[in-house]
Amino acid sequence: MKTGFMAALILILPCVTSWAANSMDVSQELDMQYSYVGGARTRGPGLRSNSVDENSADVKYVVCPQLNKDLLLRLGFEWQRFSFGVPDHAAMPDTLQQASAVLGFDYQIADEWLMRMEVEPGLYSDFHDISWRDFNAPLVLGGVYLASADVQWFFGLRADVRTQYPVLPVAGVRWKLSDKWTLNLMLPNPRVEYGVNEKLKLYAGGGVEAGTYAVGENFGSDHGQPKLNGAIVDFLELRFGAGCSWRITPILTIEAEGGIMPYRDFDYFDHHIEFRSHNAPYGQIACHARF
Amino acid sequence: MRRLAVLTIIGLGWALSRPAVAASSDPVEIIRNFSDFQQVDLAQVLNGDILSERGSLMDFPNGISAQTCFFVPLPAEETAKRLQLFDPSPHAELKAFAFHALHVPCELADFQSLDFRTSQSSVRWLLDKTIATTPTKSELNLSRDEAQQIAECLQKRADAQQASECWAKLLLARASAFQQQGLAGIKPYQNEWGTVSPSDQLHAMLHEGLAVAHEFLPILKGIGLVGNDTAPALTPFYYWTLFDADYHGTIALGAVYLLPVDDHYQLADIEYYVNGSYYTSATLCEVWPIRARGKYGALVWRGDFFAAPMLRFTKGTERIAYGALMLQDIKKEIRCIQQEAKTKR
Repeated sequence: MKTGFMAALILILPCVTSWAANSMDVSQELDMQYSYVGGARTRGPGLRSNSVDENSADVKYVVCPQLNKDLLLRLGFEWQRFSFGVPDHAAMPDTLQQASAVLGFDYQIADEWLMRMEVEPGLYSDFHDISWRDFNAPLVLGGVYLASADVQWFFGLRADVRTQYPVLPVAGVRWKLSDKWTLNLMLPNPRVEYGVNEKLKLYAGGGVEAGTYAVGENFGSDHGQPKLNGAIVDFLELRFGAGCSWRITPILTIEAEGGIMPYRDFDYFDHHIEFRSHNAPYGQIACHARF
Repeated sequence: MRRLAVLTIIGLGWALSRPAVAASSDPVEIIRNFSDFQQVDLAQVLNGDILSERGSLMDFPNGISAQTCFFVPLPAEETAKRLQLFDPSPHAELKAFAFHALHVPCELADFQSLDFRTSQSSVRWLLDKTIATTPTKSELNLSRDEAQQIAECLQKRADAQQASECWAKLLLARASAFQQQGLAGIKPYQNEWGTVSPSDQLHAMLHEGLAVAHEFLPILKGIGLVGNDTAPALTPFYYWTLFDADYHGTIALGAVYLLPVDDHYQLADIEYYVNGSYYTSATLCEVWPIRARGKYGALVWRGDFFAAPMLRFTKGTERIAYGALMLQDIKKEIRCIQQEAKTKR
């Protein structure tokens, strides 16, 4: 099923690219990210301060055809994978993965207001025993108030029926304080940015990685916790760090950052079982293209 | 670019051959016919509101446009004259540090108040970029000759006063060439994007809005933007200005043309040289006398056209946001114009 899904996306891409080749009314976004988190002390049932490290990767591609002056469609896909160095006996998933489509739109609802609706239907699981149980479709609804060229307010809502908190409101602001300094307080990466020059930017701030996944049908039995068979797990990870962003060309930016991961949580909230990790260094590279 | 020019001529030729858009002298009807406004709520306009429409996407990738419609409580003739001579520098919110008229022919003394000795960080930015200019490289809009001229001028003394003097000479040469030759006197910029001609950029943007170009044919022909004449038949108000464009100090040379057409007026403000941030801009206004609902004054339609290098890479939602923010700036300026008209300053 996974192969079929990826194949469908690969088939779509060349069509979209040729469609976009000579037109200002189609834009494309490509975001790629890889990070490594060192061994973090992890506690939970069967684990007493064991060291768990993490590799994660994320690729998101969205094409945005402009339907009229105020409306853009958003069509694409996202693939994200977390791999954890977990001891065999612990009831912690060694892999959490998302492979989803991206469907949504951006719309200018008033002179100073833009809105975005985006739903990502797809598979969110450890990718063992894949079935319809692994299917989910979290929704993000957001609004931007363009107060001025220097200040923009963001309001958002994330809805996911499978998570412990099905509706999560968020707010943020991007405030350009001066030519050099920008306060970019938006989830999932709130930052303070300093522009060294037109191309190089330094930043410090936080990061949030989160998602809700289903584990395999036999996951619990295989790890001595039968009640966790097919369970839902909420994953949350916080990061604090600093890095730099280099705009290589007007359409391509690369980023490198490092810092500390102070908190990570796997929460089987239906079964009151949690695994928590604390304090480990991390490094991350990312690439963003807008064309 | 030659292909673009040919297309422009064909397009404008088509516009010329079309019958008049509206025989009616009702300005609201005329605006509806040539502009992006499907409806003009006159009550709202007379109440002081500014109607606005972000321009449609252009095929010309460097271009963006916006349209506005507003009321000024003064006779149309006086409104047109005020629009022609509008000085943004007394209005702090417009971030114009200097605005000065140029004589015809212009002289070096016209630029004597250009002063880089200021604590304004955006002017400091412009000074830094001026000093960093070499004969072969500059982040500013300069021809190769001008880059060499700036670099040589600052070779012995690279300070704020010297930079002001270097710029004054360069601006004088640009303004003189435009006063003598019109559009043909505009030298192209040679920057990291290649050779960029401001007059080609203006032609390309007008080609995108043929209905507007058709409406403004009388004044566009007078300027030389349409037809074979490149030397302007109209005498404009010439100016230079120094302002803040997104924290970057920017100097522009412009000419505002005014032409009475039947019972109304047409204006065109052409920025024929901009030293950074963007390439060029054109602002077209049409001013009609209006008497309605017990109010007497002028109804103004305004179209703004900007060409900037980064717009080529600003697509999708970012471009919508850019257009919305551009409209905010335009509205800010219109409110200042309305305010001046109310207080008759």
